[in-house]
Amino acid sequence: MKKGLILTLVMLVGVLSLFSQTLTVWSSEKQVDFMKRIGQQFTRDTGINVDVQMVTFGDIKSKFLTAAQAGEGPDIIVGAHDWVGELALNGLLEPIPISAIELNKFAPSGIQAFTYEGKLYGLPYAIEAVGLFYNRDYVSDEEVPTSIDELKALAKEFTTDETVGFAVTANDFYHVYGFFTGYGAYVFDYDSRTGYDISDIGMNNEGAIKAGYLLRSFFEEGIMPQGMNYNIMDSMFMDGLAAMIINGPWAVKAYLDAGVDFGVVPLTSIEVEPGKTMKPFVGVQGLMINSRSQNKAFAMEFIINYLATAEGIYQFYIADPRLPSRIDVSQIIEEQGGPVPAEIVAAFTESAAGGEPMPNIPAMQSVWQPMNDALNNIINGTQTPEDALNDAVSKIKAAL
Amino acid sequence: MNKFTTFLIWIFIGVMNALLVWAILLLFILANYGLGIVISIFLVLTDWAIFSKKAYPYRYTLPALFFLFILTIYPIYYTIDTSFTNYGTGHLFTRTNAIDTLLTDPTYYFEPENPKTYDFKVFVRYDEQYKPTEDFLLLLYDEKNMYLSEKPETLEYDSRGNLIYAESELFPIERDQITVNNATYKIIRPTESLGTNGNDSIIAIEKDGEIRYTYFYSPVDPLTSTNSAFYNSVLRQNYLKSLNLVLQDQNFRLSSSTIFRKFSEAYRVYDTSVKVIVDGEREIYKTVVVNTLTNKELVERDSAFWDYNENGELYRLIGYKDYIGGENFAKIITDPRISGPFFKIFGWTFAYAGLSVLLTFVVGLAFALLLNDVNLKGKVVYRTLLIIPWAIPAFISVLVWRNGFFNETYGIINRFILGNLGINPVKWLNDPFWAKVAILITNTWLGFPYMMTINLGALQSIPGELYEAAVIDGATRWKQFRQITLPLLMVAVAPLLVMSFAFNFNNFTLIYLLTGGGPAMAGTNTPAGSTDILISYVYKLAFEGSQGQDFGFASAISMIIFAIIAVFSYFNFRFSGSFEEVSR
Repeated sequence: MKKGLILTLVMLVGVLSLFSQTLTVWSSEKQVDFMKRIGQQFTRDTGINVDVQMVTFGDIKSKFLTAAQAGEGPDIIVGAHDWVGELALNGLLEPIPISAIELNKFAPSGIQAFTYEGKLYGLPYAIEAVGLFYNRDYVSDEEVPTSIDELKALAKEFTTDETVGFAVTANDFYHVYGFFTGYGAYVFDYDSRTGYDISDIGMNNEGAIKAGYLLRSFFEEGIMPQGMNYNIMDSMFMDGLAAMIINGPWAVKAYLDAGVDFGVVPLTSIEVEPGKTMKPFVGVQGLMINSRSQNKAFAMEFIINYLATAEGIYQFYIADPRLPSRIDVSQIIEEQGGPVPAEIVAAFTESAAGGEPMPNIPAMQSVWQPMNDALNNIINGTQTPEDALNDAVSKIKAAL
Repeated sequence: MNKFTTFLIWIFIGVMNALLVWAILLLFILANYGLGIVISIFLVLTDWAIFSKKAYPYRYTLPALFFLFILTIYPIYYTIDTSFTNYGTGHLFTRTNAIDTLLTDPTYYFEPENPKTYDFKVFVRYDEQYKPTEDFLLLLYDEKNMYLSEKPETLEYDSRGNLIYAESELFPIERDQITVNNATYKIIRPTESLGTNGNDSIIAIEKDGEIRYTYFYSPVDPLTSTNSAFYNSVLRQNYLKSLNLVLQDQNFRLSSSTIFRKFSEAYRVYDTSVKVIVDGEREIYKTVVVNTLTNKELVERDSAFWDYNENGELYRLIGYKDYIGGENFAKIITDPRISGPFFKIFGWTFAYAGLSVLLTFVVGLAFALLLNDVNLKGKVVYRTLLIIPWAIPAFISVLVWRNGFFNETYGIINRFILGNLGINPVKWLNDPFWAKVAILITNTWLGFPYMMTINLGALQSIPGELYEAAVIDGATRWKQFRQITLPLLMVAVAPLLVMSFAFNFNNFTLIYLLTGGGPAMAGTNTPAGSTDILISYVYKLAFEGSQGQDFGFASAISMIIFAIIAVFSYFNFRFSGSFEEVSR
């Protein structure tokens, strides 16, 4: 009797779920429109509705974590590759069979970024790395710095009460990582065979300390004022009050719209010491599948055959001009054009090609806060770079 | 009361009971026992209150009781429950969930090096209106052979009603005909291609010469793409996606490596078996998971399943939520990361909450006294202006303070005020002392309108005769304030001050938005900041540190914070209770 009742209830739930043949996608605002368009095509082909919902990019991961563990949430999310470790550790991401995709068409760094413990957990659509933006009103194409010393000398020329010669979000580890790698520092030692070794942290080695002193010197020599942050830097460059800044491809569209005449230099062409160039963090955006979804097969079809095709990635590029993750898309861009001048795309591509992918292991979570704290203390002069970086490393080690 | 009304009430009671019973059953099926028990208790209480004469007076408290259970008691129970578990990153699901995943998830299927793959065709029975029904046949084929499968009979659903397993047997077709369970299936081809033997040009399959299954869909046949909607959303979703086809010792599933367009040989990697553990006299039956490829039992360690890789090393498969006793609480004392700066932060939390209450109260009272002055003109305007800080959402005004006022170079305070006075810029957010000052300034600005408002109200309630009498007795203004205003005011305001203290004790928003806890404490190996209060410190430890989220630990700390506030409030209420003597 009781069993029968339960069975009836289960059947009822089953019948109800029959009517919800919908593939849900969480995406940030920029991609919603064209994903809806591609979704309509998918609906025509398969009869499965596609519901593209806008979720603020910063909220997608936390909301997904909550929803997916309850067995709900979207079938597909748009996200960054450094979420992969945490989400996969929780068993919330569905691996994508490598045999089903045209692996050779994707940029290897993009595939590497979404690979965690030997499995591919997402398809990349855009790659990004920061570069040096320069305003042509101040710096001409011939004067572009090729070393830190040149950069400093040039920056001093343009620093006044109203303007800054050079600005970077110096208290944010992501933006200044290039300086550290330039001198030979690293977060976790990486071996292509065994992956990241979290017991080997290189953020307080000799090179890291040199980078710390360099960052501090920007403030001590009056190139950059204290209290510089991303918003100030961004708006100053947009208003033509900054000669050179370090920022990523996501900012390009806004600067173009603001009518700033600017160029971009890949960080990998700037030497910190003779023969040693900067290597920025490479971030990758991609599409991931919820492992608790009931529509995994459709989600996979939608991603592989509709979104991550050359045409699909081109659409992503149009909507959000970062660097397309597929090699064959550059040809389409050449033919059909895009929102960003080709030489800027080329500069960022070069920066990303010479950069280091941000580690996608969950241990990376414990790096950001201590490093940002250390950077703050360094640029404020609260601690010496040695002390600050040693502190940071011991904090990271304690957290792991 | 007329009969109709009574009837309606009975209907209402019946429907309510039915709905609640349904909800309780569902909750138990979904293994949500906590909430299930809470609602069960509520249901029993409700029916008792409705049907028992003795419980008559309680009827009216029922709605309140319901919300008390759902919104207060259950969350408290849940927090306590969570604080004894390792719920967090890597341990999100129950053990049963984890085993289910290992057994049923396509991720844990094993495909041999060169699996046999089969294309397939779907044949469907149409109803009288010529609409496809869910009665279908599956024809699998490769270059040489054809196999037939009937619609799967064995279907297993999980607790949410999602199909997790279906099974059907495959039968090889010879000479276009086959007998399965006393039914004969015959392949129908158009007359012109009769005699051919391949899988092309099959238009239907007939069962016992009566029931006709028409060729409906094949993923490789573009001619059938118009039928893909029905195939995908009904047949594939309800039967095929978890269908296991059995042919002797081979299992076939829709292969993920061809994006589910073919059936391919695949085997389940993990299976369960029951192990008997002899514990003294008793025998304990324990479910263990076995890797069918290596025949090794999975290791369960640290609330997770681990398997051996080809080098014999253990690697983690999937973790589950488990009770770990008082470990989360012990961590607070034994983990040097937490206990180290704990007392510094503890002290600052009290100082911050106390000073915030004091400063907002003093400023608020001062304004209230001014506004209460009968000689003041234009009260409405002043009052409106002074309420503004309260009216702007803290989320916005705190960011304005942070970026617009306290920025070291571009902030108004350093740039215009101190700059024009010739004072060196102050490191508002980067010096431990000044960051604390900045927090107190901002919080005072945010909080004084509230204090002003309640003080204004309280001042109205003090009878004017007392002041008249005091004036006759020759008391000074100050004496009037100290002996009349303040004690009488306190009677009304003291409980609100305690509330304000408790609020500020947990004022995460302000700290997080203004300084983020920073600047970092030098020389510690924890993410502690100089302006972190308990709750923001815990947030960093539980959600931003190590590997992601740690709900168990966060719950444990919340309970400790709750205990601190409870004790403090208890003494404060007793303390504020002493003021009541004055009013008597």
